[in-house]
Parts: sequence; structure tokens; C-alpha cells
Amino acid sequence: MNDRPELFRGNRIFLACIYWAFVLYVFVPLILMVLMGFKDSRFIGFPIRSWTLEWYTGVFADTEVLSTFGYSIAIAVLSTLISILVGTWIAVLLEGRKFAGRGLTFGLTLLPALVPGIISAIAFRIYARWLGIEPGMGAIVWAHAVHNVPFVVLVVMARLSTLPKSQIEAARDLGADPLITFLRITLPYLVPAILGASIFCLLLSFDDFVRSFFLGGYEPTLPVMIFAMLRSGMSPEINAIATVALVLTAAIGLWAERFTRRMNKER
Amino acid sequence: MTYDASTRRDGQSAGSTAADRTFWGRLSAWGPYHALMRLTTASPRRQFLILAAFPILWVLTQHLGPMLQMLRVSLTDAYPVAPGVEQSFTLDNYARFFGDSIFWMPFFRTLTFAGVFTFCTLIITYPVAYFLARHVSRKNQMLFLLLLLIPFWVGEIVRTYAIMILLGNTGAVNLALKTLGLIDRPIPFMYTSFSMGVGIVYLTALYMLLPLYSALEKLPQSMNEAAADLGAGAWTRFRRVSLPLTIEGISSGCTLVFLISTGFYATPVLLGGPSTTVFAETIAGFFHVAGDEWPTGAAFATIMFLAALIITTVFQRLMKMLRKGESA
Amino acid sequence: MTDPEPLVRIEGLTKHFGETVALDDLTLDIARGEFVTFLGPSGCGKSTTLRILGGFERPTRGRVILDGADVTNQPPEKRQVNMVFQDYALFPHMTVAQNVSFGLELKGMGKAEIKRRSDEILSFLELESYGSRYPIQLSGGQRQRVALARALAPDPALLLLDEPLGALDAKLRGQVQQELKSIQRRTHKTFFFVTHDQEEALTMSDRIVVLNHGRVEQDGTPEELYFRPASRFVAEFIGETNLLSGRVRGKEDDKIVMDWHGQTLRGLAPQGSPDQGEPITASVRLEKLQFHSERPEMPNAVRGRVVGKTFLGSRMAMEIAVDDVEDAMLRAYVDAETGARVGSDPVWIGWDVDSMAMLTD
Repeated sequence: MNDRPELFRGNRIFLACIYWAFVLYVFVPLILMVLMGFKDSRFIGFPIRSWTLEWYTGVFADTEVLSTFGYSIAIAVLSTLISILVGTWIAVLLEGRKFAGRGLTFGLTLLPALVPGIISAIAFRIYARWLGIEPGMGAIVWAHAVHNVPFVVLVVMARLSTLPKSQIEAARDLGADPLITFLRITLPYLVPAILGASIFCLLLSFDDFVRSFFLGGYEPTLPVMIFAMLRSGMSPEINAIATVALVLTAAIGLWAERFTRRMNKER
Repeated sequence: MTYDASTRRDGQSAGSTAADRTFWGRLSAWGPYHALMRLTTASPRRQFLILAAFPILWVLTQHLGPMLQMLRVSLTDAYPVAPGVEQSFTLDNYARFFGDSIFWMPFFRTLTFAGVFTFCTLIITYPVAYFLARHVSRKNQMLFLLLLLIPFWVGEIVRTYAIMILLGNTGAVNLALKTLGLIDRPIPFMYTSFSMGVGIVYLTALYMLLPLYSALEKLPQSMNEAAADLGAGAWTRFRRVSLPLTIEGISSGCTLVFLISTGFYATPVLLGGPSTTVFAETIAGFFHVAGDEWPTGAAFATIMFLAALIITTVFQRLMKMLRKGESA
Repeated sequence: MTDPEPLVRIEGLTKHFGETVALDDLTLDIARGEFVTFLGPSGCGKSTTLRILGGFERPTRGRVILDGADVTNQPPEKRQVNMVFQDYALFPHMTVAQNVSFGLELKGMGKAEIKRRSDEILSFLELESYGSRYPIQLSGGQRQRVALARALAPDPALLLLDEPLGALDAKLRGQVQQELKSIQRRTHKTFFFVTHDQEEALTMSDRIVVLNHGRVEQDGTPEELYFRPASRFVAEFIGETNLLSGRVRGKEDDKIVMDWHGQTLRGLAPQGSPDQGEPITASVRLEKLQFHSERPEMPNAVRGRVVGKTFLGSRMAMEIAVDDVEDAMLRAYVDAETGARVGSDPVWIGWDVDSMAMLTD
């Protein structure tokens, strides 16, 4: 940063302070929450005088909590598969193609991402009823899948726009029909984008509360379970569960970040 | 080196080695596949229709469908329809909204809160984005950005809970203030619009930060230097150079954060109190009870969506005019 | 072109992109084993022709007959035509060998056959030790040869080359030109080459088709185009030339006599003879002008004065102001020694009838 002119130094120090203050703002609440999970008392509050792993052992012994984790992960995986399939298809249609109604199709594609959470949940709830989908796993998977499609489309379109058209033409020229061309040229090229989008969808689905809450049956997803527990008061078990969820999502996110960056570098 | 290309050996050998073909070779020569491809790719037009049919059907039925169905239900007197009962169309559900302050108060509160929180998010994240884009070397930018991304992968509920612990009467903030001797009794931060604001800003900051960052990152450093060279001070440089050129980023960041803020349900429930009931809670109320309240809930959700849509559209128009005014 | 059964027959090919006419009623034949170059500025329609031959565009009107069959509406994968792309379009996630095998696999060849065939073509292009490398690990020249190998592997009837030398540096380009020509000779393939570089076209082609605004300006051998350009456009586009504008004075056998600012000049008649008094332009190549101290015994001679010299290494470019004709400048190439000898004294410039082509346009 030595190349920056001296002139802006005062600003820089000031802005650096704001940046680090912001880092504290986003990290401190989470760190405190994690610490609270190790406090040797049922009472949530500071100061912490002694430490324990009791809450964690309790949580991991609880099969209901474990099955909720599994339920949430299953929903995330299934909805992601659908979103990726549909989103990639839409992206292939929209990218670099001109046709009547393209703008409208693109706008409609983005719609689920722009509808405020509660409204989207309500609309899905009503639509599910109309379609005859019972509240439960199927309904949640469906709602998550629809909600996440726009993100997949945007990520895949961005990648697709950098694929030289000559690659497609070369494959066709060498005797590949459109489908084989897609499978052998386009799809391998899209892999980094699809992986990145998959991770994003998994996290969105795993973290989603409002759609899971309104479309769920008796079995709660993880955020819904934490919400229900919170309504009856704070407890260290919640901290333990939330911490496990936090570590899980942050680890997946970090791994994906590194992985997609490496893939992008290779190409 | 000789190369006898004129001999068409492949034609003769293709049959004899059919079993030895690669997967793709077998696939493209496989009768049914071949017939299917010939059928689907007979003309560019047909090929396009086959490619386009599913996506268009999907966005119409899955993206637009739920919104239209919500609109339809909001215009009916009962949903779901009980057997033997005639369903009729009505505007009563909309009329109900204006009839009682218990309905429209939370509505306006939600819009006000969303506006204020959006503005707060902008004020807080702009310097952060500015620092990232202008004062951090290219090499470190991704690292500094990643540091901020990590907490945002954590879900809404977990982060809301973290804020509850932070701001509670026995929370970290009160403890710190007490230790410093600034207060005797804890300040009741929780269940107020303040705690709600802290939570919502915490949840949405990234959606503001990223558009701002990408707008600022595109500005060449030389622009600032040129302004400084012409004698512009730090404030003038910001006001006359950076701000006008990042209006697009501000506009999209604010739109996104506003839309997200209006849609929160769990966070206001957990962080807010009786005096801060938001419209999401009002809407949700109609879906917790018996089915015949659904049309009202749908009507209220529609009102909310339209209001959010109108506000963000007007806002974006204003920003566009502002940008044009600056450049003129 | 008198071939009773040409490899490619292009009939009335027309292509519109919205309002613009990219190709306007193009008709021509391409013989087997020919190295044909389509030459012209960008937007002249050469790339459009290539893309129609490859199957990537459909013409607005007209037909393409390949080997006796109408392929106008056939998709690229069905055609016995392969292409070397301008950016080579090598598949980055496949090795060189996999790239070359791609077309063979889809022809339904067996694995052993594919291996034999791709090894053969790789060694033919001296790429045998690069089979397991990825395109990113190759130099520009090597990539170009891989692209060629990949396009030749499926044994196409017609090979299309879309400015494949554009991405190479000048030094390498000369070498690759020779290589390409020799490969074409050894494989007896029909090459359809597209370029905007006249030098490239002159070096490699058996036949050059000059296009402008979607129409054929001239179709002939490199020598014909260079020495007997049919139009002002061709004369200016290929090589450097002196353009002399005057009026037709009369005809002598196959020669045209023209009046150029009071000077009488004789040149070869163009197709379709112009009438007396009509305006006409003549083209004389720079290296065809000869310097004399006295009036030479040549059909065309003018007197002038050297007003500028530019040293170009092996030769010298001279600028001559012609006496009695205002604003009339001639440019000439002479060998460096002659150039150094010429002083400021008046000189005579002479040239033959054969060196001067009369242009209709």
C-alpha cells in the first residue's frame, strides 16, 4: 500500500478504524454466543465464571436434535439439486440469446429473490394448498428450490457469458449435436459456477426460517426448532445447537470459497 | 512424412469396430438417440422451442403462479372453500386493512423502520466498502472481504439470537457499561426498536456492502488524485467524485436491503416488543388461525408487496434523476 | 472453374442481417484440392460466407452444394466440413490428443482406430510429443497446429480457415504460411481460407476471391489480381499502386489509349470496353516504373523530378513530381543503389503497356 499517495493517509487511518469496528460488530455477537454455550450455568448472561461441555454432550445425546440436523440437511440437498437443474436450464436459455419476451422471462426469473421473505412464504403457502401439497418436507423443498433458482441463474449466466461462442461452434463442427455439445463442452465449463451456486443454495436453504416455518409440518427444520426454543426462553442448549450450525455453515462456506477460487484460477 | 488423407478409411472401419467405440461415439450412433435428436433439432425454431418450453413454464407456474394465486385468494371471501359453499369475489379484505389502526399502524411502522434501517445500513457500510475498495491493495481485498462474508453465512435465527445475548439486560453491552461505571442499572435495550434495528442492520449489511463495494471498486484511483490535484479536500472529493459515481451501487444496495427488511418475521418477533409489532406479524397472524382468515392475510401481503414495489421503484427513479442531475 | 463437378457450388448466396446486406447474390465454384482465399476488409462478407459453408449461419437466399448434395440447411455436425477457428477454440479441459480425437469419436470410430489416426495426424504435424498436454501449456504456434490437426482428423472434404494466423506474431506468421501451404499440398485437401491480409492471400492461395460489400470484386490467381486488378478497389487493396485518372482517347487492338493531363498513356483494356471520352483510371505498380536519364523507347513515358526518397532497406521508395501536371505524384520502388544515384535533375519515368491495368471503376 506504499504506492498510495501520502495525501490520503489521514483518511485511510480513519476508514481503517471504521472497517475494524465493523468487523467487531459482525464477529462479537457470534463469539459471545459461542462462549455462552460453554458457560457452567443455565442462566444466559455475563459474566462467565466457570466453563463446561455439559450442554454439548446433552445436545448430541438428544436424537431429536440430531434428526432435525439431518432433516434440514436433507431439505437443503434436495432443494439445491432442483434449483441447480432448473437454474442452469434457464441460464442456458437466457444467456446470449435474443427472443421475444426474453426481458420478461428474465424479470420473472428474478422475482422470487425480490419478494420480501414473509410475502414469499405466504404466497408459497397458499400456492402449495392450491396444488394440494401438504405442509412438510415436500412443501419446504419445493419452496426453497423455487426461491433459490434466481441465484443459480445469475451465477451460471455470469460464467456462461465468458464461454467463447467458438467453443460451441467447434464442437458442433466436429460432429457433436447440440445435446452432446452441451454435455461435453458447456457443462464442464460451468462446473465451478454450478459448484459455487450449489454451496450458496445449500446455505440459503439450511439457514432459511420464514419459508420453512410457514410450509413446515410437525417436524421442524433447524432454524424453526431454534426459534421455537427461543420463544420459551433462552437456554444454553440453544447456544450449543446454534454453535454447531454456525461452525457447519462457516466451514462449508469457507471450503467453497477456496474451492471455487482454485477452480476459477485453473481455467 | 506422408499423410494419405484421401483414403476414407473411417467409413469402412466404423462397422467392424462398433463395440470398441467410445461412450459418445456409441451414444451419437445409437438409433433411438439419433432419432430423438433428429426430431428435436429438425429446425432451429423447434430446437429453441424445446429449450425454452420448460424454463418458461417454470417461471410462469412457479415464480409468477404463487403471486397470482395470492392475489386471487385476496379477492375471495373464503379460502379454502368449504364444500357446498359458494365462493364469491370481494374487496372486503382490502377494506378491512383501512378500517382498523391495528392493521395499518404496523404497516406504516414496517415501512418507516425499513426505510430508517436501510439508511443506517448505508451510513455504516459505505465507509467500510470505501476502505475495502480504495485503501486495501488488490491482493488483500478478497481476504478482507472474506472476513466480512463468514458471519453472513450464518443463518438469520442464529444471528438474531446472538444479538439477543449481546443486548440483554445481562448482556455484554450492559456488562461493559457497568464495568466502566457509566451506568448503575442495566439499560433495557431489548424488545425495542433499537434492538430490532441492531438486529436487522446486522442481518442485511452484506447486501448493502457488496453492491457498494463493486461500484467503488470500478472507480479508478486516478479520479480521486485528479480531484485532489485540483484542490478538492477530502469531503469535496467524496461529495463531488465518489458519491455521484456510486449512486448506482447505492440505489441497488438500498433497494435490496429495503425489500429484505420489510420481509423479516422471526427477527422482529424475537427482538421487538409489543410497541414494535411489524406488518409481517400481522400477516402471519391470519395464517395461524383457522383457514377462513387466509383471504385477509393474502390481501395484506398483497398490499405490502405493492407498497414495497412502489417505494423501491420511485426510489430508483429518484436516484436515476439525481445521477443525471449530477452529470449535467 | 471449368471442373464439371466442383467440390463446392455456391449459388446466389445472399445474407441479410436486419437492414445490412452481408452477402449479395454470390455465385462461384470451388474445385477439389484448391486453396481458395476470400480476401477483403472487415464486413465484406468473407466471414459470412465461411460461416454459411460451416453451417453456423443460414443464408437468406441461395444454396450451397457440397459434393453434389444440397447442404444449405444442414447443421454443422452433419457436414463433411471442418474449421480452424480464429481463436483456435481448443477445448481447455481436454488434452491435445483428446481434442484431436473429439471429431473421430463422434464419427463412431473404434478406440484403437481413433488412437492410430490421431497419432498419425499429430506426428504429421510434428506434435507427437504434445499429446498429453493441455492447450494452456502450448505456445501460440503449437495451438494453431493443434487446431489444424483437430480439423483435419475427421478427414473433411473441405477445410475452412478463419484468419487462423491473426493471433500469431509477425515472425512466426511467415513460417506458418509456408507450412500451411505445404500441408495443403501434401494432404490434397480443399482449403477455404479467409483473411483481410493481402500478403497472406498472395503467398498461399491458388486462387483469390476479393470481396467488397458482399460482392465479388475479382476472382483470379494471385498474379492476375496483382498485375491485372479489375477494379480500383482491388488495385488499392492489394499491394501498393499508382492510380492515374484520365479519359479514354481511343482503342488499339486490346489496348486502351488514355489521356492523362495531356500525356498519352497506353494500358491493357479491361473487361467491357469503355467508350471514347469516358473517365478511366489506370493502375501501375510501384516496382514497374523505370528510371531513365533520357526519354526511353517505351509506350509510356513522363518527365519529372524526384521530390522525396525513403530508404526501406533492400529498396528505396521515390516520390516523383511529374512535370507540367499539377498535383500529379508518382511513387516508385527502385533498388537502393539506383535510388542513391538519382539526384534533383529531371528524370524520365517509363513503363510498359502490360504494367498498366485500366480499371472500369
